[in-house]
Amino acid sequence: MKKRSILPLALLMLPTAWAAEPAWFAWPALLPAADIPPAQVPRRRPGRPPPSPPETAGEINLGAITPAPVDAVGEFVPVPDRWRLMEALGFQFPWYDPYNQNVLKADKPIREDWFLNLLGISDTIIEPRSLPTPVGPQGSARPGAYDPFSQPRQLILAQTLIAGLVYYKGNTTFKPPEWEYRITLAGQFNRVQTRELRTTRIDPRRGRNRSDAHLGVQELFVDKHLRDVSARYDFDSIRIGIQPFSSDFRGFLFQDNQFGVRLFGNRDNNKWQYNLAWFRRVEKEINSGLNDVGAGLRDDDVFIANLYRQDWPVLGFFSQATIAHNRNREDEFLFDDNGFLARPASLGGERPRRYQVTYLGLNGDGHIGRLNLTTSAYYAHGRSRPGSFVPFPTRIRAGFLAAEASLDFSWIRLRGSLAYATGDRNAYDDKSTGFDAIFENPIFAGADTSYWIRQNVPLVAGGGVTLSGRNGMLNSLRSSKELGQSNFDNPGLRLLGVGGDFDLAPEHRLSFNLNHLWFDHTATLEALRQQAPIPRSIGFDASLAWIWRPFMTQNVVFRLSAAGLFPGRGFKALFPDERHYSVLANLVLSY
Amino acid sequence: MRERNFRHLVLMMLFLAGCSGEGNAPPAVGVAPAPSGAGSQGCTGSCASAQSFLSPPEVERILAQAAQEAQARNRPAVIAVVDRVGNVLAVYRMNGAPATMRIVSGRPVRGGLEELIVPSELAAIAKAITGAFLSSEGNAFSTRTAGQIVQEHFNPGESGQPGGPLFGVQFSQLPCSDVNTRFDGASVRPGPHRSPLGLSADPGGFPLYKGGTPVGGIGVAADGLYTLDPDVSDRDLDVDELIALAGTFGFAAPPERRAERITVEGKTLRFSDADFADLRSDPARVPALGATAGQILAVAGYAPAAIRAGTAFGTPASGIRPDRLDYPGLDAFVLVDGSDSERFRPRAAHDGAGALSENEVRTIMQRALALANRMRAQIRQPLGSQARVSIAIVDREGAILALARTRDAPVFGLDVSVQKARAAAFYSSAAAASVLASLPRTSYFRIALEPGRAVLSVSEEREPQALIPALRGFLARPQALSDGAIAFSARAIGNLARPFYPDGVRGASAGPFSRPFEQWSPFHVGTQLDLVYPAVALHLAHVLNQSGLAIFLGTTLIAPAPSSDNPVPLPDPPPGSCTATPRLANGHQIFPGAVPIYRGNTLIGAVGVSGDGIDQDDLVAFLAVHEAGQALGGGLGHAPRELRADQLAPQGVRLRYVQCPTTPFLDSSAQNVCEGL
Repeated sequence: MKKRSILPLALLMLPTAWAAEPAWFAWPALLPAADIPPAQVPRRRPGRPPPSPPETAGEINLGAITPAPVDAVGEFVPVPDRWRLMEALGFQFPWYDPYNQNVLKADKPIREDWFLNLLGISDTIIEPRSLPTPVGPQGSARPGAYDPFSQPRQLILAQTLIAGLVYYKGNTTFKPPEWEYRITLAGQFNRVQTRELRTTRIDPRRGRNRSDAHLGVQELFVDKHLRDVSARYDFDSIRIGIQPFSSDFRGFLFQDNQFGVRLFGNRDNNKWQYNLAWFRRVEKEINSGLNDVGAGLRDDDVFIANLYRQDWPVLGFFSQATIAHNRNREDEFLFDDNGFLARPASLGGERPRRYQVTYLGLNGDGHIGRLNLTTSAYYAHGRSRPGSFVPFPTRIRAGFLAAEASLDFSWIRLRGSLAYATGDRNAYDDKSTGFDAIFENPIFAGADTSYWIRQNVPLVAGGGVTLSGRNGMLNSLRSSKELGQSNFDNPGLRLLGVGGDFDLAPEHRLSFNLNHLWFDHTATLEALRQQAPIPRSIGFDASLAWIWRPFMTQNVVFRLSAAGLFPGRGFKALFPDERHYSVLANLVLSY
Repeated sequence: MRERNFRHLVLMMLFLAGCSGEGNAPPAVGVAPAPSGAGSQGCTGSCASAQSFLSPPEVERILAQAAQEAQARNRPAVIAVVDRVGNVLAVYRMNGAPATMRIVSGRPVRGGLEELIVPSELAAIAKAITGAFLSSEGNAFSTRTAGQIVQEHFNPGESGQPGGPLFGVQFSQLPCSDVNTRFDGASVRPGPHRSPLGLSADPGGFPLYKGGTPVGGIGVAADGLYTLDPDVSDRDLDVDELIALAGTFGFAAPPERRAERITVEGKTLRFSDADFADLRSDPARVPALGATAGQILAVAGYAPAAIRAGTAFGTPASGIRPDRLDYPGLDAFVLVDGSDSERFRPRAAHDGAGALSENEVRTIMQRALALANRMRAQIRQPLGSQARVSIAIVDREGAILALARTRDAPVFGLDVSVQKARAAAFYSSAAAASVLASLPRTSYFRIALEPGRAVLSVSEEREPQALIPALRGFLARPQALSDGAIAFSARAIGNLARPFYPDGVRGASAGPFSRPFEQWSPFHVGTQLDLVYPAVALHLAHVLNQSGLAIFLGTTLIAPAPSSDNPVPLPDPPPGSCTATPRLANGHQIFPGAVPIYRGNTLIGAVGVSGDGIDQDDLVAFLAVHEAGQALGGGLGHAPRELRADQLAPQGVRLRYVQCPTTPFLDSSAQNVCEGL
């Protein structure tokens, strides 16, 4: 069990969207499992009448071995520790076999109570896509390019290798580890092929394509188990270093692997859980999205306090309250490795900018009866100095709501999604009412299989600012999700979606999603494009995904998805009336 | 301190009175309200009336407000006020104001206009004209705005981004232009008037508004420098700008029209770093102009020693009035002279075989006007406004065949549209090399002012014909400029006239029209200035001479001080003499908005457009030629594709021919409308 629970954590560190899948069982992996007495959960199949109990109760155990005679007790074979019982009984497994007891997978200690867990993941992405692509302003790829939009087709290839090492002390089957040291490195090679100049790098002489590689430190932390506070191993623990963290259940506000100090623990038999954390964000490398430790820490702090309550208000539902404060003081110009201006964004006033914003959040996840439900609500309150469009400070007042409900019918899960991020009503006033997150990674409404969440559509000719970020759904008009600053002068988002998962077989899952997206207010877009009116509708985003796990495990997962964007009137007012696609082929091999 | 508090109280009350409840910035302090007929959107091009002009008392008040602020800062200034078409209504010199301004970009560059000493009144006039000429009922731009859009990157300092959209516009409205008119020594006259130094990028020049419509501009020279701001991301308190801003009180541009409400490539433009709260004086309570020590100056070639009333824009007196003859139903405006005769009615070319006919010229102009009227403006508020532009058609020798404008287009575009058209016609022509080879060498001067005389000394010499081998080598086309085999659009010429090729890429070498970046500044750009500098320098020497100084070149006397029997020892360069060839009579321009016109494979002229975003200017020029060609049954059109400059990819980077804008039309959401033409 241990290695299964650790793998999703390792997957979390990938910024690429397939991290999505593991992420939604990653959060409880941070915490001990729920403890619901089995008697309270009647056995039944969703959508079917409850099975009638067996007519006769009683022991039926034909061929059972009779218990050992009493006098056999005492004939002990001494073994070093209980993890080596199997060895003592004569079982032998190859050293590399992760499916049986393995010292490299922390099934057995390497000395006393110290365990070692090695992780290896290979993640391969092939991603053909199409995007409205601006013609290179200084020189186009072809003659006869007289218009602002070039050929939209692009191809992304990315191969990521992740190696992780966990070294910890503890008796983890029974209680939290006492010490944990962890390092995870991710190396990525990526290549982007486009049909226009200045899409991948600002210098048109460097061509239409780009290859790049980066080694990122995605985890590097020590975790000290401070104390147990109850007989049920409720605890307080502190973790220092680059660590994964998710501010809520679906990664709406802040989900990242960042440097920080986090005090966390639980109470009352795990009914209450808490986090007190400070993160100072590490710079990221723009093309891989991986941490760039060499570039140092950003002048950006995130302070988070949150409290989880299990089985509240109803059994099976987790509720959480959060206060997060993001203080950004990055008032210096920064260009990314491709030569584009990352901070401040090449947008509006383009003045160096600081901001501080406090998020108050209420989140929930679980089920109410048969209804699976996840909810999220945030209110952002703060100040941007100056605003994105104006030379004077603006007051940030923005809100966000999201909910996703689903029902299971045997092997079918049907769901509906709703999201609302407020948009800014007037680019030039002293209020910034567009919602933006700190670092979103939404596992929602189809996540990275959805066109709008996966792709970063460039808004302004030149491509320096995108509508929503890659693996982001908020139309926050940042330079990039990775390096850019939050921007609260943005058009916001409205999303309504339906979807379904079909577990055709243990090896096969088919999912679909159909979302309709709108901007909330297009005033900022109108200001940026000097064009009005711009209607709200972005359009329909339809996607289909197939997940194949040939061995019914997470060790080999293949995913193939395709999404299409069918533009609405707002999109057509900004870009050519063309449908766009996003295809994702993804193979994840885990050890 | 009490007075200061009181002033703030007054400003606050004004602010509250002027606040419409729509947000609270910028406060509408010092803005005359739009007329009641303008509607909730404010003025959109039709507010100008016969009463829209500055009266002498108003000019005096503007001068007094500026002078009061200058006095409060103890920075005596020279203050100029002009009307919308550039008549200089008054130049006021406060006692103790610096006599001259030094032109400096701040870049380590010598020569060109760098380090040149110019009379302060010329700097003030250039700044006032810039504020007036760049503005309209839809947009209020200042000299600070100009500074933001003429540098090597847009925004300045944002490396990797191409140069400013109006890169090179500083060398327009030149004193030698044949489009711009000049003071005749007596009364205000029809414009557009010339500017002594072209357009200014130095903060301290603003437009002036009455009732939501521009009625002129104010320019201030106090700080001793004629420069530009290389960093638009910070906030400067520039003395010239503060003084000029005080002058605009009561005549300030409507806040919702100012540059900071207008975006280009998603970036807001700058209007002013200072606002009324930064003033040390209260312009609402200004004493008469006589309270400050100073005098109204006469400036040779620009103004008498008197305060005059401005002209009402759109009336014949302004030189720009509605068309009555050639462009029915197109809401067009044309240029007229002092007797209300049209200056540039459509006419046939007489430049040899296949010349453009009058009907062809008129058709192209009509198409261009119609396109502009349905095009989305890039630089105007409210959003959804029509683009407003000036359109020029020239023959292959640069003669103007037609010049007209749509309603409320900014005035600067008249001269610029001709400059752009001439550039496209000239460099596309097979005669370009031989004409360039015939041009005299350009000598750049330093000027030292000594008692009673100005002494010029040659600082640098440039051969205009050096462009020929440079361009041929760069393009790897040994016959370029003499075979007529390349159709150059203004955009393509612009690509080649930036200090980096490709444009904006740091470390790349300069285009052949440009000086290398280490030797480049907005005051020393390369071919564009090399060609017009002799005329500009002659004009400067003329003004200095008229101010009573003898002119020496080294120790040689060129012109004695004027006397009664020799009142003009050094004549002003005549209209149309900006270069030594009539093909480029008012110089040439190096930013987009013009295409050459062909009959089959033969160049027959060019159309130039200026006044809105450069992509909009491109579209009007490009589609007008295409549509006119279709309407005329194919007699004319664009250059064959194989001749167009975008077939060339020097140094591996393709030249651009034109770029049409996103969502170009107000009446459709069509994109990519220039594809395949």
